Amino acid sequence: MKTLKRIFKAREISSLTFLIIMFLVVGAVNPAFLQIRNLFLTFNGSVVFVLLAVGISFVIITGEIDVSIGATLGLAAAVSATLLRGGSPWIVALIAAILVGIGVGLINGIGVTVLRVPSIIMTLGVNGIVRGAIYVYTNGKWVENIPFEFKALSQASIFKTVTYFFFCTILFMLLVHFILTKTRQGRHFAAVGDNMQGANLIGIPVDKTKVIAYIVSGIFAAIAGIVYVSRVGFVTPTAGNGYEMKAIAACVLGGISLAGGVGTVVGATIGAIIMASISRVLVFLQFSSDYDNTITGILLIVIVVADSLIQRRICEKARRERLSARTLSEVGGKGDE
Amino acid sequence: MNKSLLKEKLFRWENFLVLILITEIIIFGLLNPKFLQSRVLLGSINDFISICIISLFVTFVFITGGMDIQAGSIVGLTSISLGVLWQDAGLNIWAAVVVAILIGAICGAISGFLVAFTGVQAMVVTLGGQFLYSGLALAVVNLSSSSAFEGISGFPNSFIALATSKTLGIPNQVIVFLILIILSYILLHKTKYGRYIFLCGINRNAAIYSGIKTKLIIMSTYILSGMSASIAGIVLTSYLGSARADLGKELTLPIITAVVLGGTSNLGGKGGVLGTALAAVVIGIMRFGLVMAGLPTQYLDIPIGTLLVVTVAARTVSGNTKLIKTIGKMFGKA
Repeated sequence: MKTLKRIFKAREISSLTFLIIMFLVVGAVNPAFLQIRNLFLTFNGSVVFVLLAVGISFVIITGEIDVSIGATLGLAAAVSATLLRGGSPWIVALIAAILVGIGVGLINGIGVTVLRVPSIIMTLGVNGIVRGAIYVYTNGKWVENIPFEFKALSQASIFKTVTYFFFCTILFMLLVHFILTKTRQGRHFAAVGDNMQGANLIGIPVDKTKVIAYIVSGIFAAIAGIVYVSRVGFVTPTAGNGYEMKAIAACVLGGISLAGGVGTVVGATIGAIIMASISRVLVFLQFSSDYDNTITGILLIVIVVADSLIQRRICEKARRERLSARTLSEVGGKGDE
Repeated sequence: MNKSLLKEKLFRWENFLVLILITEIIIFGLLNPKFLQSRVLLGSINDFISICIISLFVTFVFITGGMDIQAGSIVGLTSISLGVLWQDAGLNIWAAVVVAILIGAICGAISGFLVAFTGVQAMVVTLGGQFLYSGLALAVVNLSSSSAFEGISGFPNSFIALATSKTLGIPNQVIVFLILIILSYILLHKTKYGRYIFLCGINRNAAIYSGIKTKLIIMSTYILSGMSASIAGIVLTSYLGSARADLGKELTLPIITAVVLGGTSNLGGKGGVLGTALAAVVIGIMRFGLVMAGLPTQYLDIPIGTLLVVTVAARTVSGNTKLIKTIGKMFGKA
């Protein structure tokens, strides 16, 4: 019973409810949307965003921001695609991509912690640098002719519904969720984001935690880059441009607060699925997918504003209850004298 | 006392920026002597006028402690709205310009209202705004008879002249920039309103208790930044001769770089318009000079990004004596 109550109080539940309502409404207009096959197509299509959102949620939960993941995805995708084209086995490409992610994450982390550059500025600058590096690396050309076997990986599926990529991503996400919520190290992220000075006082290595968060975010962006290569089949120098904003939006939709300390990767995943399915939903509602950004923007603003107003009301109510409880007890105390 | 005053004046951040600017011009002049011709140098502003205009007013937002990443998307929305109003709604071009500035003001007002009155972080609201306004720009394209790729062109000559002709030998764009610098300087540094903006950023509670309507002040800064974005959109449309929905998409990095490089703190309460104007020109000349020196445009984000990170890092590190000591010790050992 207690767990049930806790589940219903979780912030993710409102995102999940929203996702379900959205699907039902679209299904009511166009029943074809609710076919199992189509639903799974929608889910499978969200893998890149889910990976990005889970990675960046580490950084956001520690109270910082990372807008360099779009470029990191692009660079990792370009590097791994070049390796794959050259005939390297996929594990080499994966390791190379992850090294790229670790590198970018480390630079971000050091800039934010050691040099004390505000995170938005640090990662914005790094985003520009890495994006330029993609042009330098690829000479501004597309990386094409990826081996067919690798492209086929993105289509390989269990029971012809769930692709291995989506399945693995969800498993991975649940593992990360477990680490973040149940282990000592994992709780550090939320502690740092909630109250940095407090975390510092009780002996949590704040700077180290932040650097790790950036590295994790980089690694996830790099893995998303590999998935991108497999799904899209070629890499342009602008690959992943603007994905960082969509990932942040996904986190916010999933109930993660940009102020830090609040939110889970499960929420980020639900948010990412919402983000990824909007363009598909529009198609089924027979709107032009040009309206994708408009809907995303409205959704983001409405949900965040509503959430903020609700939270404020709850805080206000709690404060009033505390106040009245205090006056009552004071009156009671006087009566005893 | 006079000496310290002199020292303070000499070591001001703005002077440092002037120094960078002069060095830049000398280096690029050596690399490519054509660069030093006044025609080329003054004409180069065509390439970065929108960064200059928008960053002036995004400075206001930063000083209140806010963040504005939506300005770039308002540029595209303004440009395409201008085109549609003129071509498809049949409005007089100057009437369309006024409406376009109003659209920018409304966009800014929506975000500003949400930031000021609901307490949602400025970053989130303007992120939503970025999606919303760039999406709306595409929606406006659908209203027109032209396709998104070709844009709307064929504007009357008087409108094209706005950005392409000269007055008294100075390109009009430079004049627009100078007027806006003076306007924003007076507004921020010489009026009560400007002091209120600073106070909102330094200590919002104190501002509230001293009877300042902080919410309206904060909202107004977003309106100003939205309007400046639409002015940039109009100038850009006039210069290119065509209205497009995707203008200004890549401006977020240079705008924020200009504001921060200009000495404005992203935590609010500190900064100035002159620094921003200088920094915007430094960035613009750098982009222009590098291209003239033969660097492909796609690589430009590398030097700009490095500049942003290095200046901010240098400024924060130089203010942190403990870190300097540790670094000094490290080098001392080695």
